[in-house]
Amino acid sequence: MPITILTPKPSRPINDREEDVSDAFSISDSESGGVDLDGDLPMTSRPHKRVRITNTTSSSASGGDIVTPGELITDDPQWMRGHGTYVTPGTPSIISSVAGTISRTNKLLSVRPLRARYTPEVGDLVVGRIVEVQAKRWRVDVGSTQLAALPLSAINLPGGILRKRTETDELQIRTFFAEGDLLVAEVQQLFGDGGAVLHTRSLKYGKLRNGVFVAVSGMGGGGGVVRSRRQVWTMDAANGGGQIDVVLGVNGYVWISKHVETPEAENKAAGITNMEESVSTTMYSSQNDRIEVETMREIARLRGVITALVENGLRVDEDMLVRGYHEAVEMAMVSAEGADDIYLGGERGEQLAAALTGQ
Amino acid sequence: MASSQHVLLSPAELAYLHASLSLTPPIRPDGRTPTQFRPLAAETGILPGANGSARICFADGTEAIVGVKAEVERTAQRAGEETIFTEGNLLGDEDEDVEDGEAKEGEDKRRGYSSWVEMTVEIPGLRDDDSGTAFLAAMLSEALLADGEFVKRLWINRRFHWKLYIDIILISPPLSYPLPLLSLTTHLALLSTRLPRLKSEGDEDPFFDDDWAAAPYLFPRTITAGAKSTAADPTASRPPITLLVMAVGNNIIFDPSKEELAVADVALAVSVTGTTSHAEDTVQAEGKVGRDLRLLSIRTIDPPSRLTPPGVANAANAAYGTANGAAAQQKMPEARTAETEVVEGVWRAPRGGAKRIVLGALVQKVLERGGVVDEVLDALEGVDLG
Repeated sequence: MPITILTPKPSRPINDREEDVSDAFSISDSESGGVDLDGDLPMTSRPHKRVRITNTTSSSASGGDIVTPGELITDDPQWMRGHGTYVTPGTPSIISSVAGTISRTNKLLSVRPLRARYTPEVGDLVVGRIVEVQAKRWRVDVGSTQLAALPLSAINLPGGILRKRTETDELQIRTFFAEGDLLVAEVQQLFGDGGAVLHTRSLKYGKLRNGVFVAVSGMGGGGGVVRSRRQVWTMDAANGGGQIDVVLGVNGYVWISKHVETPEAENKAAGITNMEESVSTTMYSSQNDRIEVETMREIARLRGVITALVENGLRVDEDMLVRGYHEAVEMAMVSAEGADDIYLGGERGEQLAAALTGQ
Repeated sequence: MASSQHVLLSPAELAYLHASLSLTPPIRPDGRTPTQFRPLAAETGILPGANGSARICFADGTEAIVGVKAEVERTAQRAGEETIFTEGNLLGDEDEDVEDGEAKEGEDKRRGYSSWVEMTVEIPGLRDDDSGTAFLAAMLSEALLADGEFVKRLWINRRFHWKLYIDIILISPPLSYPLPLLSLTTHLALLSTRLPRLKSEGDEDPFFDDDWAAAPYLFPRTITAGAKSTAADPTASRPPITLLVMAVGNNIIFDPSKEELAVADVALAVSVTGTTSHAEDTVQAEGKVGRDLRLLSIRTIDPPSRLTPPGVANAANAAYGTANGAAAQQKMPEARTAETEVVEGVWRAPRGGAKRIVLGALVQKVLERGGVVDEVLDALEGVDLG
C-alpha cells in the first residue's frame, strides 16, 4: 500500500515522568501541614481548555497543563519563579515566558518548554553544519538561537602540524570546511549572550562523511536527545551490516555512519604525535568510502528508529537507540517483506515505541 | 525556473544519498519503498464557514489547510451575442481548451471560464509574489483548469455562475517541497465541497434551498444513488491530483523528501485525474481494479541538486594527506573548484537535461492502471467527508 491516510488523533495531554516526581514532592508537602494546592493556583485568567483530572490527586491540577507565553500562572506570593517564567516588578504574579508545561519543585514554579532551542554548555559534544565562511572563522549552525563560531585557530591542521595560522591558511579556509559541511565538535567557550565557540582539536572531532544526518528537535516535551554518559559509540549492525558509528550531538543533530577503521588503530605502537598525523589524513576528506548495501540498509533502519522515537515523544540516547534498533530488527523479521523491510514510519513507529515502553 | 528552495547538504551526504537511492531497489533514508508516500493524517470539513475544507498533516509536522468558498456572481455578457464573454483569464491558452470541450459536448449549454476560479497559495516565510509560490499556484490551478471540465460545474444558468475561491495555506514552514501536500489537500477540499441546491429554474435569478443537508457535492460521490440527478456532467470525474515524482539513475521515486529531492536527477510534477466512467467495462476486461487516468499536465521541477557544491576527491584535496599537505596546498590553491572526473564516493551535481527514456518511464509509471495513483485516489476517497 503506497499511501496510508489516518484520521487525526485527538490531542493527548502532555505528561512526562519527571512531573510525577515533582508531584510526589508536593503531595508530601501539602500533607505535612502545607496548603491545598488546588486553592493556591487560581488560574482564572484563562478558560479551562480541556477536562482536567482534578479528582485523582490534590496536586494534579496543573500537571500536564500547557501555558503559553504571557499567561498568568499564579499571583500568590508564596511561589518562587523558576525557569521559563518572569515576574513584573511590584507584583507577586508569576507569568510564563515560554509555551510549555508547569512543573513544581517544592515552592519553585517553572515552565518546561514544549520545544526549545539548544542552549550550549561548555564541553558539549555537538554536530553542526557550516553555514557561513568568514575570514578567520566559520559560523556553524548547531540548532541554537545563534550561530556558533569555529575559529581557524581551533582546528587541527592536516597532518597535525602545530604552527601559527598564516595568511595562506586564511585564504584556503574552504579547503578545511566549506558551506554545508557537517562536523562534530565540542563547545569550548560561551559568550555572555549564549553564543558558543567550538573547537575540533581532538582526533574524535572533524568533518563527517560515510553516512546520513538526521535532525531531532531539541529537548523538552519528553523527546529528543538528552545529555548522557556516551554521545558517540560504535555498534554492531544486524544482517551483516558491519559496524555503525552513531554520533548523538547534544544539540539534537545526529550522525549515523559506517564505521571506518582509522589507520592508526592498526599500528597502536605509534607515538602520540604520529597518531595525530595519520588520523588527520582523512580529517578533511569529503570522499565517501565504499559502503556495502547491507550497511546502508542498517543505517537507514537506525535513522528510522530515531525518527520513530522522536515522533512518539521518547528520549533518544544510547540505551534507547540500541534497544530500539534490536526491536526494529525483530519486527522486520516477522514482517511480510522479511529482514530487508526497514520502514518504521506511521503505525510501525508506534508499535516500536509501544514495545520499548512496555505498553 | 527556480522552484524549490535550496537545501544545504555536505558533499559527503549528497554522495551517500545518491548512492543509496541509485541501488536496486533504492534504499530511501526513511525506509520507504520507492512508491510509498509518507503517512498522513487527513480530515475534511474543518472550516464551518467554508463550502468545503480539508486539512492534511504529515508526521513530521508539515500541515496544510485548504478552504473552498463559493459565491454567486453575475456572468458578464456581451450584448446581442449568444456566447458569454469574459476577459480575465488566468492562463493565456485557456480559451481554446474551453472551446474544444464545448465543441465536443455539442448539446451541453454549460460553459465555464477559468476566471471563475480564484486560487491563492500561501507559504509561510515567502512572499505572495515569490516565484516559488507563483509557480506552485500555477501548477495547482492549471491542473484544475486544464481540461475546462471543472469550471462547467460552476455554471448555474446563462446569467449566473458560482465564483470559487480556493485558499491554500501551508501552516508549517515548508520542510519539504510542498506541492504534493497542497495538491492532496486541495483534492480533499474539493471532494468535500458542497454548493446549495438550486431551486429556481431556467435563467431567472438563482434561488437556493436553505437546507444545507440537501446541498449536493460539487463532485458527486459515485456510491450515492443521486449522483446522476445532480447537475454534474456524465463523466463523473474527480478533482485532479498533482504528484511529485523524481528519478535518480533509473529509479523512480514518489513523494520525495527534501533530502531526496536534493540529489534528484529529474523531478516532475505530474497532474492526473481519474475518471470512473469507463471503469465498469474495463474492470471486467482486465480483472484488475483500476480507473482511467487522464494526464492533465507535466511540469519539470528544477531539482536543487544542480546548485549543490561538488565534492573534492581525495586526490585533489589540498587538506588531504599527511606531510605533503602543505606542499599540495601550494600546488593547487583552487582545488575545490577544479573540475574532476567521476570518482566513486565523490558528489558531482547532475549535468545536462533529463534522459528522454527516464521521462517516459516516469509518466508511464504515474499513469499505470491500478498503480500508485489509483491507490492514492482510492485512499483519498476513503477519507470521511464529515
